[in-house]
Amino acid sequence: MQFVIAETLEHALELMASGSRPIAGGTDLVVGARQGKEPLPDALVAIDRLGVLASIDGGTGEDGEIVIGACVSHATIAGHGDIIDLVPGLADGSSLVGSPATRHVGTIGGNIMNASPAMDTGAPLLAAGAAVEVASTRGSRLLAVADLWLGPGQTSVDSDELCVAVHIPRPGPRTSSAYVRLEYRRTMEIAVVGAGAQVSLSDDGSVASASVALTAVAPVIIAVQGLSEVVGLQPGEAARTVARLASEQSRPISDLRASDRYRRHTVGVMASRAVLAACRRAAGEEIAVPVNRSEGIGAGYPGDAVANTTADGVEL
Amino acid sequence: MKINLNVNGVTFPVDIEPDRSLSGVLRNEIGLTGTKEGCDDCECGACMVLLDGHPVNSCSYLAVQTDGRQVTTVEGLADADGLAPLQQAMLDAGGVQCGFCTPGMLMSATALLSENPEPTVEEIRIGLSGNLCRCTGYAKIIEAVGSDAPST
Amino acid sequence: MQQGSGTTKFVRADGPDKVTGSGRYAADMVLPGMLFAAFRYAEVSHARIVELDVEAARSMPGVLAVLTDDDVPDVRYGAGVADRTLFARGVVRFEGEVVAAVAATTPEAARSAADAIVFEYEELPAIVDVEQAIEPVSPLVHAGWEDYEASTERGHNVASYSSITLGDTDTALAAAHTVVTSRYVADASHAVPIEPRAVLAQWEGDKVTIWSSTQVPFDAQAGVCETLEMPANRVRVVVPHLGGGFGGKCGFHFEAHVAALARAARRPVKLVFTRREEFTAPDRRREGMVIELTSGLDADGRIVARTGEVLIDCGAYIADGAFFPQVASMHIAGPYSIPNVSIEASLVYTNHQPSGSVRAPTAPQGCWAVESHTDELAETVGLDPVEFRRLNAVREGATGPSGQVYGPIGLLDCIDAAVASASYGTDLAADEAVGVAVGWWPTFAVPSGAYVKINGDGSGQIITGAQECGTGSVMTLCQLAAEEVGLNPEDFQLVYQDTAAGPWDMGATGSQTLVNNGRAVVAASQQIADALKKLAADQLEASPDDIELLEGQARVVGTPAASIAIGELAAIAAGGELLLGHGSGPPPVAPEISATCVGDQGMAAWVAPQFSCHAIRVKVDRDTGVVRVLSVAAAHDSGTIINPMGAQGQVHGGVLMGIGQALSEGTVYDDRGNQMNPGLLEYKLQTIADAPPISIDFVGVAAPDGGPRGSKGIAEAPNVATAAAIANGIAKVVGARLTQLPMKPERVWEASSGAAEAGGR
Repeated sequence: MQFVIAETLEHALELMASGSRPIAGGTDLVVGARQGKEPLPDALVAIDRLGVLASIDGGTGEDGEIVIGACVSHATIAGHGDIIDLVPGLADGSSLVGSPATRHVGTIGGNIMNASPAMDTGAPLLAAGAAVEVASTRGSRLLAVADLWLGPGQTSVDSDELCVAVHIPRPGPRTSSAYVRLEYRRTMEIAVVGAGAQVSLSDDGSVASASVALTAVAPVIIAVQGLSEVVGLQPGEAARTVARLASEQSRPISDLRASDRYRRHTVGVMASRAVLAACRRAAGEEIAVPVNRSEGIGAGYPGDAVANTTADGVEL
Repeated sequence: MKINLNVNGVTFPVDIEPDRSLSGVLRNEIGLTGTKEGCDDCECGACMVLLDGHPVNSCSYLAVQTDGRQVTTVEGLADADGLAPLQQAMLDAGGVQCGFCTPGMLMSATALLSENPEPTVEEIRIGLSGNLCRCTGYAKIIEAVGSDAPST
Repeated sequence: MQQGSGTTKFVRADGPDKVTGSGRYAADMVLPGMLFAAFRYAEVSHARIVELDVEAARSMPGVLAVLTDDDVPDVRYGAGVADRTLFARGVVRFEGEVVAAVAATTPEAARSAADAIVFEYEELPAIVDVEQAIEPVSPLVHAGWEDYEASTERGHNVASYSSITLGDTDTALAAAHTVVTSRYVADASHAVPIEPRAVLAQWEGDKVTIWSSTQVPFDAQAGVCETLEMPANRVRVVVPHLGGGFGGKCGFHFEAHVAALARAARRPVKLVFTRREEFTAPDRRREGMVIELTSGLDADGRIVARTGEVLIDCGAYIADGAFFPQVASMHIAGPYSIPNVSIEASLVYTNHQPSGSVRAPTAPQGCWAVESHTDELAETVGLDPVEFRRLNAVREGATGPSGQVYGPIGLLDCIDAAVASASYGTDLAADEAVGVAVGWWPTFAVPSGAYVKINGDGSGQIITGAQECGTGSVMTLCQLAAEEVGLNPEDFQLVYQDTAAGPWDMGATGSQTLVNNGRAVVAASQQIADALKKLAADQLEASPDDIELLEGQARVVGTPAASIAIGELAAIAAGGELLLGHGSGPPPVAPEISATCVGDQGMAAWVAPQFSCHAIRVKVDRDTGVVRVLSVAAAHDSGTIINPMGAQGQVHGGVLMGIGQALSEGTVYDDRGNQMNPGLLEYKLQTIADAPPISIDFVGVAAPDGGPRGSKGIAEAPNVATAAAIANGIAKVVGARLTQLPMKPERVWEASSGAAEAGGR
């Protein structure tokens, strides 16, 4: 196996043009090889030291777009003030990924290019209308995430193209987002199902526009269609409608983690909760990241009432 | 592939295949077996080490990626004067039973406390969530990490 | 050396090793010239071997040995039923069965060679359902079972059968005011110690030393002796630090395979398991169970009769499961005074991985079933579940379901303590409830031995056959020895888990270490105390009877000025008769019982029974079925608690394991008997974020037939009633019973939505 640490982005792209695969945190690549899913590639180029891929622009440009370098870690995203203010749904997603270690070395670029239908950043990005910027020695291009994923582990990006950044349109006023996933444990989970929502509210508190994306109910992250139906509805009614649409439109499989029937039901529950949380955030309420641990199904214990006692019931 | 592996402040020149895991190289080439291997899929955290101060699952991290970076293992916590306060706190609280998760647990806790010296119980729970323990029910580990916060 | 400074804080002698990373576990060991082992597994649950050809593997580079059944002595072994061989012989009966073993210069070379072995087979129908397996038309897992040497009651695909009969259940049920029948199914689960096992063997001449991550070094030694036909004094099993066990590392496993490889290769050989292998290969899995039980109540809510039938999934081989049916029957009876009992249980062969003792085998599942049933009974007669238990629970002087009459026991105290700690009965949110369950577990009274010596400098050494698996029970031996001879626990170091050094001990199994080896250490220490008193009497011109040993000093009682340091006495002894003690002490005798037991395995008469009550507050997300455990109140009668910190650690760990078993841990099989989740990603242990606050009450009733100072075991008991209490909490919230363990979110949601549709919420 050949392994090269890229010195510049151009260096990395040249190596990719000659067949190298990129590695940043290696959380999917190396674990996959250890599990025997797929051997490591013959040639790897390490891109995790490229500073140009490691920054976040929280909307300083003319169009106010938020640009996140591909090698920005989940830990950074989950704690970044601009992300939490503008696209908290993405911060929700990043803060739920794996363990603290995984969040430190795992990157957003790796997460989206791995193209798992269970990825936690996919639904918030799709709901936010994000695009990926990919580059190669042939040039660079922008690609909507909606057009990126083709199936589990498959993208529409060529093998010599490197994801360099994620671009998220700046959300308008009274607009916010949330990502909620069904998890059996409070941490260290892979989404059984999940839902990301971005909602804009009208002055009367009703939904002006909404977009919702679903995790792990189809071969790729999917967007819920027909959301014009919820425009004008108050949040509660909108959430119920979204739940129905999400369940109807999901195409889940049955596997070890859940049956298709259960997934179809619970994705509606998750979508409903994501819409409600996004509405509350859009109305100006502060809900801590991640929604799961502060409001959702991951909450409801030590986080609140008993957080200040040790396991022996002793006041700290 | 020749790299310089800096572990606990000492630089070790090693010549390794690029597909070798950091934990394997630490345990075999460097001879530091405090770092444990307990699973195949980054779930148990027994292999946790610090890379430039941040926790990383060394079983699933390529050793060559650490070239020129600082690796800290459990062997790097104590110094000539004795145990680090966190190590002592783990013993005093009873947070050690079989000890197999202990090195990884100590490394995650070290990273947590360096970023957040006075973590709440909930912050400890999230900060150590990548480390499985089957013996203690975690209660005395939480106690140890909480008591090690400098304020108390 | 400072002695006798008076501290009583528990200090783990192995603590510094474990927090600094300097302590060695089996996988850390390296020897010159060491080779690496790899196994070829069946990877099919039931098949006839058509071809097994190792020639290609033998000639691969770096390969020094390849072994199959042809290469080891013709020995069939197994406790209760000799149904096992080291390597598969003719037929494979579960996916993790070892077909062949390789030793090579690198792990990769060993793996490649194992993969290169030609193994062709004809698949046979997999027997995976215990209820079908006992039907006479079912194919057999062991075609020649009638020819096996056996000491159990057996039958068609039944490795061990037992029954407990007391009184006349037919008459009592016919006369009962109310009769309730329930059926419960428990999935299999796993012990999952964080350390995957490792074995290293080295021959010197005709002797072999085996370093193994086993909880039971003397069992491992005996297994090697039996299968490789060697005397015990040429097989030395040493356990470096052991990274947890929970029963998963009980039993004789792979020590003989590795020793045989090392002998054939003439080099040391090391085997290190992956997590997947740890899940699939050992004879250790918590048994799946199918439980049917019927109870009759009188008008006041007293249980007057109970019948039950239990089928336990043995898997392919009996392992140590011979006693499972009887101990399961006791759990189906429960810690209640029931005058008429008839319970039958069978350990049923299937083509699953063999079951073996995992932390209180059969008990958490049995308790979950019976305590769910108990709440159903209480509801039927309109009694509060706690009042119902107080009415029926065994107490001092009461007769239990096997006809054992109890001495001083603390079950009622446990109930009082747990419900008080849990604020049982206070108003809670609609999605929360407190579930209550009681449990019990025997104390295993078995032989054990230890030596104690005091060195010339006054420092102490305990040489014991006992095995430390992390609980701290071996570490606590220092405390017992210190108190006998007037020193501090820190003044002692331990030589342990080495079969060549220590006397026989059953190992880290059955919660028995402190009870039995503690007795041995106390006996050995008393010999030293006597010798010290004689030495002191000579020096102080007093009678040995008037000498007390305290705080590092030998003193004349009532004359504190007349004293001499124990260190000085040790120096005197070093020039004359050395300070050596050895002890064993007779184990307590099993109590009498009046029940009739077919297939008796000695598990219906319980020495120093342990009791517990857990009251657990749960929160149920009824839209998804996700259950969070908010808090646990655990009350235990484990006799006198000698090491509170260690005992608390056992309750914390046992409860969390129980929560896992209740909610997230369950082995899933495909219809051919293969595990679908043999890894930590899909077999979900509870994380630190899931761990609830646990309050602990030790009610502290000293056991007259217990270990030192009236102690009982504690390591397994906290696992028993946890899933049961959670089940009762869930049922209160969702208005329906979960009848399959684990109570995974989808199962809770199914029950909850079923109850909602039926208007039962």
